[in-house]
Amino acid sequence: MAEAGKLDLVERLTNECIDLCRTLLRGRKHIDPLLDPAFRTQKLKRALDEQKTAIAEMEMAVDKIMSAVERLAEIDFSSAPSAADRVAACSEEIIEACCFQDITGQRLTHVMTTLGEVRQGLDALADGRDEAAPEPAVSGLLNGPALPGNAMEQDAVDKLLAGGSK
Amino acid sequence: MAVDMKMPILIVDDYKTMLRIVRNLLQKLGFSEIDEATDGTDALAKLKCRQYGLVISDWNMQPMTGYELLQKVRADESLKSLPFVMVTAESKVENVVAARQAGVNNYIIKPFSAEVLKAKLKTVLGDF
Repeated sequence: MAEAGKLDLVERLTNECIDLCRTLLRGRKHIDPLLDPAFRTQKLKRALDEQKTAIAEMEMAVDKIMSAVERLAEIDFSSAPSAADRVAACSEEIIEACCFQDITGQRLTHVMTTLGEVRQGLDALADGRDEAAPEPAVSGLLNGPALPGNAMEQDAVDKLLAGGSK
Repeated sequence: MAVDMKMPILIVDDYKTMLRIVRNLLQKLGFSEIDEATDGTDALAKLKCRQYGLVISDWNMQPMTGYELLQKVRADESLKSLPFVMVTAESKVENVVAARQAGVNNYIIKPFSAEVLKAKLKTVLGDF
């Protein structure tokens, strides 16, 4: 009887070990994509760089807007024609600076996509799901705004459009 | 021939701020007939309903990108000669090359200045 009890215990422990191994293997499937060096060194790093660049661009845009507003406040309106020109110039600068919202929006979308992939892996791991995470969509020519140093300047684009090389 | 400042222009972008920026700059340049679309599909539907003199489009939009819109415009007999300017943050060589091959008339990198927009539109439309 005691011998049978020991066998039951061994069987239960063995089954628990098997379950544990299965859980680990399932978890590994969800964590593997996140541990992939390509994900960590490229995608995650790029997301961090995008976030940092977006913050810098926002600061730059706010600085431009504030500078233009300060110059608006200093305009002498007793000289109407020149005041009108200066108001027009300042408002144009403000409009141009507002471009940042589009660029930073695209950068933050990139950050959100990467965080979404991390979350998806962690959720699947926490839920003990068995199916593998779906592959992220291939973006093709959709790269979003370039990071500083990697952007092509307008002059180079003009040359390329005209049929020359970069 | 002088540029018709009343010709309808279609601007396409999924960011409302960007649509406002381009609209404002075009108005400052003297253009008055400006319509907006928020992606390629929306733009294509509008292009079928009205005769436009120029399209200014972003690249990165869903469900139809500006690049796909450009391809569809160039493939359409009634639209293929419509001037098309891409205004985008996509600044990789392969993007510019693909746009050129698809028949874009000009390509402006975001962020851009009013001066650059004016210069490029003059290249495409002629002096105004």
